[in-house]
Amino acid sequence: MHFDAESQRVLDTAAGLGAEYADVRFAETRDEHIEVRNGIVNSLSDGESAGFSVRALVNGAWGFASSAQIDDAELDRVAALAVSIARASGRVKGQAITLVPSPAYTDSYKTPFETDPATIPLGDRVNYLLAVEKEVRAAKGVTVARAWMDIWRTKKFFANTDGSKIEQELLQCGSALHALAVGEGDVQDRCYPGTGGLYQTGGYEIIKKADLLANARRVGEESVALLTADQCPSGTMDIVLSGDQVSLQIHESIGHALELDRVLGWEANFSGTSFATLDKLGSFRYGSPLVSVVIDMTCPLALATHGYDDEGVKATPVDLIRDGILVGYMAGRDTANTAKVSLSGCVRAEYWGRLPMIRIGNVNLEPGVVPSENLLDDVKNGVYMESNRSWSIDDKRLNFQFGCQIGYEIKDGKKGKLLKNPTYAGMTPAFWRSCDAIGDAKSWVAWGTPNCGKGEPLQTARSCQGASPTRFRNITVGVGYER
Amino acid sequence: MSDKDFADPQALAAVLDRALAASKADETEALIAAGDSSLTRYTHNSAHESVNERNCQISVRAVVGKRQGVAGTNKLDNASIFDVVRRAYESAKLSTEDPVFPGLPGPAGEMAEVADAYDDTTATATPDMRAAAVNDVAKIMRTHNLYAAGYVSTQSDAFAIANTKGVKRFHRSTDSAINIKAIGSDSSGYSEGFSRRFDDLEPAVLAERAAKKAVAGKNPRALDPGKYTVILEAPAFREFIGYLSWIGFGAQAFEQGSSFMSGRLGEKVVGENVSIRDDFTHPLGSGIPFDFEGVPRTVVPLIDHGIAKDVVSDSYYAAKLKHENTGHALPAPHSDGPMPLNIVVDSGSTALEAMIRDTKHGVLVTRTWYIRLVDQKQTLITGMTRDGLFLIERGRVTKGLKNMRFNESIIGALGRCDLASALVRSESHVLPAVKIEDFHFSSGTEF
Repeated sequence: MHFDAESQRVLDTAAGLGAEYADVRFAETRDEHIEVRNGIVNSLSDGESAGFSVRALVNGAWGFASSAQIDDAELDRVAALAVSIARASGRVKGQAITLVPSPAYTDSYKTPFETDPATIPLGDRVNYLLAVEKEVRAAKGVTVARAWMDIWRTKKFFANTDGSKIEQELLQCGSALHALAVGEGDVQDRCYPGTGGLYQTGGYEIIKKADLLANARRVGEESVALLTADQCPSGTMDIVLSGDQVSLQIHESIGHALELDRVLGWEANFSGTSFATLDKLGSFRYGSPLVSVVIDMTCPLALATHGYDDEGVKATPVDLIRDGILVGYMAGRDTANTAKVSLSGCVRAEYWGRLPMIRIGNVNLEPGVVPSENLLDDVKNGVYMESNRSWSIDDKRLNFQFGCQIGYEIKDGKKGKLLKNPTYAGMTPAFWRSCDAIGDAKSWVAWGTPNCGKGEPLQTARSCQGASPTRFRNITVGVGYER
Repeated sequence: MSDKDFADPQALAAVLDRALAASKADETEALIAAGDSSLTRYTHNSAHESVNERNCQISVRAVVGKRQGVAGTNKLDNASIFDVVRRAYESAKLSTEDPVFPGLPGPAGEMAEVADAYDDTTATATPDMRAAAVNDVAKIMRTHNLYAAGYVSTQSDAFAIANTKGVKRFHRSTDSAINIKAIGSDSSGYSEGFSRRFDDLEPAVLAERAAKKAVAGKNPRALDPGKYTVILEAPAFREFIGYLSWIGFGAQAFEQGSSFMSGRLGEKVVGENVSIRDDFTHPLGSGIPFDFEGVPRTVVPLIDHGIAKDVVSDSYYAAKLKHENTGHALPAPHSDGPMPLNIVVDSGSTALEAMIRDTKHGVLVTRTWYIRLVDQKQTLITGMTRDGLFLIERGRVTKGLKNMRFNESIIGALGRCDLASALVRSESHVLPAVKIEDFHFSSGTEF
């Protein structure tokens, strides 16, 4: 996808109207979704969307405009509108925006993959999901069985007044199955893989390795068994979380907390701010010494991996937490100066029409050394919890409460009886400081989260939080179900 | 589509006609959603993000026998329209027969119009007009030694739908909103306004309201977890009602048995003082007169004086449940089924101020945050308070409180509530403030 002439026209127009900096992004997305529900294909959709956007900085204030129509008149109109919006913003301006330098790149990037999903006939994909869904429903007592897959393609062309010209082609795939069991006064559900599926960058091999068919019956049976399972106890005890649940815990209590725009109050009215304020950088004990977290937009397979972000910054790994100490933030060119932190290439927009903003990219918890099967060994009294069902955290990312789909009692190091409605709660730093074992690299998975919401207008982003199963001591369990 | 004919009904109809004419399917539906939306976001009393987006998306549903396929694009040239129609048709051919699928709906049914849905001033609002509103807010904040964060938005939308059975619908509307969080050193306050008319937003009045809350909330103290009498102001109550409508008032959840309404129509499910309906005609609301299949919306009583009355349907669930089609389809395909989008909760008889006066010991909640479902059948949710939590003592708001987490059943709470007398719009819903006894706060946070 090349828009050299169009880009130059936009950048010249913006600069001619007084922009000290401008960038332009042309993008086209193609989203395929297939979903099967109780033997019927209830969604077979194939959507595309294309357009461009212009971001202009005028006298230290931003303006942004976008359009689906690409012709000379519209290029001129949108470029001029971005500048005029920036001028209007300048009338209620605070501290002037300054951009940290970023090299100008002329480059291209393409997601590596093994199998182009387009080479798998659509009918074969539909039939696969029908077979999976049938197998879920083969578990007696399942009320609703579903299976789905998504294939997302994005082509982008970025240029800015610094001289960058970057072309990218991204491919992301994912699939899942879901079982819902309805009992007397109770509803239980299970999903596989993880909380809402396995979503990664790559081709059809991502869908194949999820191996839905081999797990469908088991997951269906689990949803039914949960209806008659004992309620998870309430109290203070040790917990071991599955890797996909740790992934969501990272997302909510580390990822969002370390977005620098939140720290600076740019999201104060909606997503909120952060307890991890600038004065804590370099000294705050965020977690136990076992906890090291890196944003790595180059991570193979991870859902947010790309070559460059939507302001032309090259993907670069950056430490966020090292040995439990807060050492970094996710930052953009317009915020990094305030904290003197490095850019990781994490500024992204949902699609061509939306403003790029700091988004959780691939925020990965480094694996530990304990084989995951040994994490339960020295737990006397606790609960193993798997796959998220509900997630809530305050607007500074401190007080959280999560619920999981399934739990198992842990007694004297052994996995015991099935438990339903497991929940746990805590305060972010105390929780991560209570982490005393992290599963090894063999159990580490780049879990994708395809539905992270932030910003106004609301934007959905695809993130990843790589994680292994992890153990936490003395946690409040069973919140919401106390007797 | 050029700037001149953006959202022009004839231009959109011509696009729809092209799509329907190109289709080889047994039945075809084409839906256009066109929008021009602007939003100026501010923090620290200054505009930091300000955007405009213009888009026009067409979605085509092809029906082959009882098989359906959907494809979409925002490219409106002839080749792209032919291609999107072809992709929908190819998908339909590879789909499964759904014996329940009744075919696309026909044009039967009178459609009520929504009065004053479009306002030219709002549709053409400039960045300077939004910046001026931000400036009004900032001025108020400075007088209180506070700063504000929030947004001011304006938008113009058009929906057009046609199908090969003769449905042809068009609706154009505007909307605007302002959202204000007033921020002090250890407290915050919140107010919001929504209207189809930008000129009705009253930024200064709303800013003063948010600022007063932030000032009153200074030096917040911690509250012990436990059960309290609480008053949820409308923005807080809206989150409860929004969740309830998502998990309980749609025909799919009802049919699969996961809704609290399942098997309980005609039974008392909440207090007799609670009546909830979906009503696109409410003058405070933002409803459109037809759904995303082009079926005229109807006003649907969901809970009437505490009795479970009905759920909303679309053509599919109307056929499946042998129920009237209430006109609540979402754009196809949608895995959640039909949904109510314009909830109205009937008001009570007590003014909010009197509710506070009548409360010996309680808590006033301005806004809630990050509500999530803990237990669907029990409608048990958890979430946090934010931007203005206050202690009420002997009929007066006396102190600011640090924010709390709650775990509460929505229908349980609606069984022990009193509704305030004034209705306001919050997002797309219209509802009053509510007083709830024995509301469960499970833990607190540090601010």
